[in-house]
Amino acid sequence: MQVKQYLIRRLALLPLIMLGVSVIVFTLTRFTGSPVGIYATPNMTPDEVAALEERYGLDEPIPVQYAYWLGGLLRGDLGWSGVSVAPVTDVIGLKMAATLELALFAALVAIIGGIALGTIAGVRRNKAPDHAARFFSILGASTPTFWFGLLLLIPFYLWLDWFPLGRSTPEIFDSIGHPTGLYTVDAAISLNPTAIWDSIRHIILPAVVLGFGSMAIIVRMMRSSMVETMSEEYVDAARAKGLPEKLVIKRHARRNALVPTATVIGLSFGFLLQGAVAVELIFRWPGLGQWVTGAILSGDQATIMAYVLVTSLIFMLVNLAVDIAYAYLDRRVVLGS
Amino acid sequence: MSVNNRSDHHRIRPRKRTAFAAVVGAAALGLVLSACGGSSGGGESSDAAGGADGGSTAVQNANIIVHHQNGEPSSLDPARAEQGEKGEAFIDNIYERLLDVGPEGPDLIPSLATEVPTQENGLVSEDRLTYTFPIREGVTFHDGKAFTAADVVYSWERAMTMNLPEGQASALVDSIASMRAVDDYTFEVTLNEPDASFLYSVVLNPVASIVNSDVVTANGGIAADTPSEWMDANMVGTGPYIFDSWKRGESLLMTVNPNYWGTKAKADVRWDITPEESSRVLALQAGDADIIDISPSNVSDVEGVEGVTVYENGLLLEPIHLGFNMRSDSLPSGDTIPSDFFADKRIRQAFNYAFDYDTYINSFLDGYGARYSSYIPQGVFGYDPAAPVYNYDPAKAAELLQQTEYWDKGFTVSILVQAGEPEFEGVALLMKDGIEKLNPKFRVNVVNQAETQFDENLGADPVPYALWVKNADPGADPHQFFDPLQHPDGDWGTKHGMRDAYENPDQIAELIDAGKATVNPEERAAIYSELQKLLYEDPMWVYAAQEGLAYPHRSWLNGFVINPLWRGPQYEYYSKG
Repeated sequence: MQVKQYLIRRLALLPLIMLGVSVIVFTLTRFTGSPVGIYATPNMTPDEVAALEERYGLDEPIPVQYAYWLGGLLRGDLGWSGVSVAPVTDVIGLKMAATLELALFAALVAIIGGIALGTIAGVRRNKAPDHAARFFSILGASTPTFWFGLLLLIPFYLWLDWFPLGRSTPEIFDSIGHPTGLYTVDAAISLNPTAIWDSIRHIILPAVVLGFGSMAIIVRMMRSSMVETMSEEYVDAARAKGLPEKLVIKRHARRNALVPTATVIGLSFGFLLQGAVAVELIFRWPGLGQWVTGAILSGDQATIMAYVLVTSLIFMLVNLAVDIAYAYLDRRVVLGS
Repeated sequence: MSVNNRSDHHRIRPRKRTAFAAVVGAAALGLVLSACGGSSGGGESSDAAGGADGGSTAVQNANIIVHHQNGEPSSLDPARAEQGEKGEAFIDNIYERLLDVGPEGPDLIPSLATEVPTQENGLVSEDRLTYTFPIREGVTFHDGKAFTAADVVYSWERAMTMNLPEGQASALVDSIASMRAVDDYTFEVTLNEPDASFLYSVVLNPVASIVNSDVVTANGGIAADTPSEWMDANMVGTGPYIFDSWKRGESLLMTVNPNYWGTKAKADVRWDITPEESSRVLALQAGDADIIDISPSNVSDVEGVEGVTVYENGLLLEPIHLGFNMRSDSLPSGDTIPSDFFADKRIRQAFNYAFDYDTYINSFLDGYGARYSSYIPQGVFGYDPAAPVYNYDPAKAAELLQQTEYWDKGFTVSILVQAGEPEFEGVALLMKDGIEKLNPKFRVNVVNQAETQFDENLGADPVPYALWVKNADPGADPHQFFDPLQHPDGDWGTKHGMRDAYENPDQIAELIDAGKATVNPEERAAIYSELQKLLYEDPMWVYAAQEGLAYPHRSWLNGFVINPLWRGPQYEYYSKG
């Protein structure tokens, strides 16, 4: 199947899957109780609570409430975010941009670091670099993000003042336009060196912390994959042709070793979104993670539902991209078969 | 029954090794290790590990006071702001009320009114029903509109018309019979009945803040029972600060009002929303934050840090309590108690004796707390230092329970508590510990619920739990505590079925009503003294503790002061450098 056809088929299925997700999300969220709690206070009388329920249509049967919510969803109205005191749609774009920016930088750290270290470890199997990479990846996979974040903040923020807390210096952030919502990209577009430096300075530490865990997994996957491909006959054949070792690794071994690693990379993006919750809290990064944490603690259902829908969508799109990447990395893969 | 006087405001602070300290230690170790290969890193690390603040003593962000907050407002509209919630503190800097309280003491001072009404100055009528407020001339809103008495009428009527249950409009609705602007600079209000607490409970309430009629009208006007989306997120007041912006989940900014009628503020203020406490502590140590919110149990993390001062003065006026519900007909399935279990005075007394107050204050509040009496917090008029309080006495608790059938039968009861609130969870856990230690047949389950479910359960009538923990809404007048919390026909009195449980409900009700109507301070104090004694004998709550007020701030912040009657810092009193 052609990539284009495959893409159309998968994208056509997307609304159906999202509809399923919406039913699950809505039902599960309602299991935790009525969303009226976000507006109610303990001092209210039952009549006052009933008035609130009427105000927001929460006195209707659950399927009717779902229909209202779905109708709103189709019109681009995701409801009222109690924690943000604004319509969800007004806020979610800003939050999503902040989280995506962080996740993309973390993915860069994880992918570049993971592939490089994994390749070296696979090529120099059972030698010092391999042991070092193993130690590094065990550390990465077993260090809680929350703790690791604090551990880096103390020297690099508190003592050395290299990397600050937060996403930006407010005055610098406000001094440039934000056409994409991604601060680093907007800063680059504005050609403002202060803003470029400010955006990079703020994102390095959280991206490293967030990417570290995923990088560790990519290192391990890449290593074992490299070990396997390095013992393949076609690698020997390439060597026999007299190709320099660097080219053998780069063109023949690494490219093939990347196919299974790509799956892990796709999955790890989901973990990055998940891990962003803790990292955003520690680094006061105003993204989806910090937003949904507040929503969960206060039981703000509209926000929680929007978060799940958006992250599901991102997850599905990333996996679609990974499937397409397979076809590019391995010509034997036939999409849709 | 043994009567013990409370100890004074506790100041015993056991130095404990907190998780944060452990992280600092681990980080120090990491740096030392990483510096092993370097030439001079070791010395610097050891200085830093000693608790230095990143080496900066020069004032950072000189023209702006940065307050790292643990949450953000749910509304900026005075008509909608919930009691004890973040919006109130922000509102108090942008909007003003007719009266205010200064940095020290509970005394009322003029604000948008030029005099505090009393019978002596003739501004309170003989029958104590009509209050006249002379209005300050020359005051303008932040958009330039002149302020007059008509704005007071508009603002109060607006809140009463909207009458949002999540806000505090009931303070106005329940008290006021009528009001009018006599002329541009005279406002008059008539009450339903004489109320000695009126100035504190109504005029000082954030719901009585003066809003700008022009901007309200231009942005949707007033609709009954309906919140205003515009006013939820925008503000045009008369106060020392002008609302600038609100980046959701990130920051709120207010700037100095150059045309303020009173003493002008010295620096702009930014609230940075930093939900994680460890990050707030780091921001303070690094000098990025000038003030931070902190839970009492973590104050020791910032004590002794160079360049940081911990302001600790007074107590919050919102005591933490455990409620006894005596009409819970739908208890959790595991509970074995009957619905009127706590109607037996001996059981309520036993629970009061079984709670370890000192451990609670010293561990869960890290020493930042004190006892209060039944039911007035320290710092509020009428608090009687000689009033009896319960002390932890398991033998006495056992003795009382042995007199009931449950000593042999045993019981299981659940305590409802809001998740993520260590101060409240501590009360539930210590109560469980205290009761279960008495008899292996006693079982106490602690049920943790998210805020929404917690509020929903507590808002239900009857409440589906026999015990629950929370703090009281803050108040400045004793009636604000006695009426909702102890009156047999008050809010909690009705919900909890206090009338059937009190030994002498009419006596309690008459005394509380008399306290409200009595103006003479001595007579009023005597009434409250009597009530504190009676309610000790017949307790309707476990009066756990009053949390201490602790605000860590950079030492370069001058004039830092907090009146416990304020709903948060009033930044116009502070300066930097």
